[in-house]
Amino acid sequence: MNAHRSVLARTVSTPALLILLLLAIALVAKLFGSGPFERTVTELFIRIVLVVGLYIFIGNSGVMSFGHVGFMCLGAYGTAWLTIPPAMKKFALTGLPDFILQHQAPIALSLVLSPLLAAVFALLIGRILMRLAGIAASIATFAMLAVINTVYSNWETVTGATSSVVGIPMKTGVWLSFGGALFAVIVGYGYGISRYGLALRSARDEAIAAAASGVDIERQRLIAFVISAFVIGVAGVLYAHFLGVVNPDAFYLNLTFISLAMLVVGGMNSLSGAVIGVVAISAMIEILRALEKGIPVGEAMLAIPNGVQEIAIGIAMIVILIFRPSGLMRNRELRWSRWPFERTSENK
Amino acid sequence: MTAILQIVFDALSLGSIYALGALGIALIFGVMRLVNFAHGDYISFCVFAMLVPSTDAMSEMFLGSLPTVVLVPVILLIGAGVSVLSEIVVFRRLRDANPATMMIASFALGFILKHFLLMLFSSRPKSINLWPDLSLPVEILGARLPLLQLIAIGITIIILVALSAFLKQTRFGLEMRAAAENFTMARMLGVKANRVILIAFAISGMLAASIGLLLAAQTGTADIQMGVSVMLVAFIATVIGGLGSLAGAVVAGYLIGAASVLMQVILPLEARPFRDAFVYAAVIACLIWRPQGLFAPKSAKQRV
Amino acid sequence: MSFLSVDNVTVRYGRLTALRHASFKMVAGETLFVTGPNGAGKSTLLKAIAGVVVPVEGQIRLAGTVISGAVPEDIARRGFSMVPEGRHVFGTLTIEENLRLGAGMRADKEAVAADLAGCYEVFPMLRERRDAPAAVLSGGQQQMLVIARALMAGPQLIAIDEPSLGLAPKIIDQVYDVLLRLRDERGLTLLIVEQSSTRALLTGGRMLLMRSGEIVMEGDARDLLRGDALKQAYFG
Repeated sequence: MNAHRSVLARTVSTPALLILLLLAIALVAKLFGSGPFERTVTELFIRIVLVVGLYIFIGNSGVMSFGHVGFMCLGAYGTAWLTIPPAMKKFALTGLPDFILQHQAPIALSLVLSPLLAAVFALLIGRILMRLAGIAASIATFAMLAVINTVYSNWETVTGATSSVVGIPMKTGVWLSFGGALFAVIVGYGYGISRYGLALRSARDEAIAAAASGVDIERQRLIAFVISAFVIGVAGVLYAHFLGVVNPDAFYLNLTFISLAMLVVGGMNSLSGAVIGVVAISAMIEILRALEKGIPVGEAMLAIPNGVQEIAIGIAMIVILIFRPSGLMRNRELRWSRWPFERTSENK
Repeated sequence: MTAILQIVFDALSLGSIYALGALGIALIFGVMRLVNFAHGDYISFCVFAMLVPSTDAMSEMFLGSLPTVVLVPVILLIGAGVSVLSEIVVFRRLRDANPATMMIASFALGFILKHFLLMLFSSRPKSINLWPDLSLPVEILGARLPLLQLIAIGITIIILVALSAFLKQTRFGLEMRAAAENFTMARMLGVKANRVILIAFAISGMLAASIGLLLAAQTGTADIQMGVSVMLVAFIATVIGGLGSLAGAVVAGYLIGAASVLMQVILPLEARPFRDAFVYAAVIACLIWRPQGLFAPKSAKQRV
Repeated sequence: MSFLSVDNVTVRYGRLTALRHASFKMVAGETLFVTGPNGAGKSTLLKAIAGVVVPVEGQIRLAGTVISGAVPEDIARRGFSMVPEGRHVFGTLTIEENLRLGAGMRADKEAVAADLAGCYEVFPMLRERRDAPAAVLSGGQQQMLVIARALMAGPQLIAIDEPSLGLAPKIIDQVYDVLLRLRDERGLTLLIVEQSSTRALLTGGRMLLMRSGEIVMEGDARDLLRGDALKQAYFG
């Protein structure tokens, strides 16, 4: 019992610092920002939910999953089905069961049910996939995403196929998405210090030794898989209520790439890495976007040509990885050290 | 009978494209343990290299107007060039990084290439008029097949034979095979790491260029995304075939091509749009059955 | 003049110091054994010389030229050949291809062919299966193959890490017979990591005793083994 409390005490500064950082960003947006800036920050927080969800599985298991964005799709469409007013969904989504077509759920309920859908799907398919390891597992998760994408892109009566499903109440603002990020960080932290997280990380680092110590690797991976699916499902719900529309292509290769890039550039194996990766890359994207629009310098406009923005992001990511191959956080967590108050003889 | 012949050739020609793609990925993975996600963008790059930069829907030939005898080597060289450049500028500096970092770097590289093409050409697919005479049908055993399909199959076979000869009978090929099996041990015997890797990238780039030429001729379109779907299947085929096994990658490429075409034929009409879902489900099943791949190399020992 | 000189070499894996201030010299033609308990740093020492790991401190010279910090393929081209622990044959290559790979650095084709023929004389069982994939060989045969392969490079210094590991005593005898015969014929300098003290006793030569990353004793093999130093190192 004492040992457990000391783990909490030693590490709780990490989520605390991360949450403070996000809170600061939220406050800046609300107090000083304009409408568009608030939207940018909202999107940032939604991305944090997504990337922290990725970290929960990828960071702890060491298995690179290309498929998790599929859970965001499930969550997003789930909330679309539940929360679009009956008048709109009756004609577009005729394949849905009557019970759903006739009712409209409040977002609070959907925030629980839709991610649950993603988690249940993860449980079912995870039982098959988690016995794979390494790159076979990565391909299998990608195949899972491809299946989801193909099905959602073609099942007209239920998902509207490739046309966007409209009419989702646009309720996600800075505070709701901040709440999502808060939830994700707490779940990520809690899982990380739990014995499940520890068991999974031991299997990540030394599979044979872990198995010999009684760790059921498949089961631990499945647990992380399901938890991460739930968190990412929440990201999907928030995203749907942010855009007001969903379509399957939003949840496929581009989002997969950018979310994985944020995780790896930040540092794959730490919660701080996930958050910092999102903040850093999002900041870069926004700065470049502003540069593309042009900054007035005296009487002239300083602007970069169109299209250079994305190229610059790609170059920036490569440069960061060359100098910090294990990510910006170097696989360490943000910690409040006691240095300003007390010098100890610990190794510095 | 003619229908079956049609299906066979469809499967073979689609499989050929996938096999070439898988080979390109497997070559680099063999020596560097890197999955090069930029490979699909090399393919697109080679296709667009033939056109004058513009945003029109009709394309104007730039290099593409060269006579075939010159065009093909030039495009192959461009493919090798962009691939080798990637290694020198990006991948060489990440030689000792973990696989995830190298993967994301290759994603980012592909991202850069794609947006560079976007800047010059816009995202609208362009029509491209490459070797139109080859689309004329030829009669074989009662079936009418586009000449291009036969050429694609034939060229692939030639490439496979040539590559096989290179690997088995030349010094460089020997070094590449040894490096693919155990890179550090090969270096301890004097095999130059940089040279082997550069050769792998050069060959891989030429394979990408070949795919680009075939696709451009077959579809008559130049599209920024055209390499992506090939790249994805190539990646899957490499893993299903058994990482580190070139033969496995090729066989898996043909298998996926065959499965794709067969599904199109076998599936009932309502299920046809979901064909890809079935193919990917089959991929998962294959991985569950043999996670190490169909042709996992015999020595699965630890590297030095 | 020392042929190989290792001077105050330290190797770290992250925060772990695997080799600490290691210093010793070898003259051409001598045989040096390195022994010690597991984790003593013996393999790390050989890897540092081979260039597989880079020392954070210290210098290694071969025939007067500094090789620490160079890449493995360049060090191999300077006349150093390494046979690492675990018999890493290239299983998908044939036996002959394995041997030819070793000779890749040599320009003189005739000398290589002569060496190959000589190889087959010394190891007749390799000639029988020359076109078979190396994976079909037994443990002892693979050990012979990797030694032969290292010799095909025409080195002046060969380092072998644990030649007896996993082999039956009779096979170990054969391996050492061949190794020492080749050493005498060609004037090789041998650096052998060997857990088995018997081998060192039988073969003679100098010995380094390592423990916890450091070289703790150095001297004639027979002297060291008869004294108490070895017992101290393993159990003290």
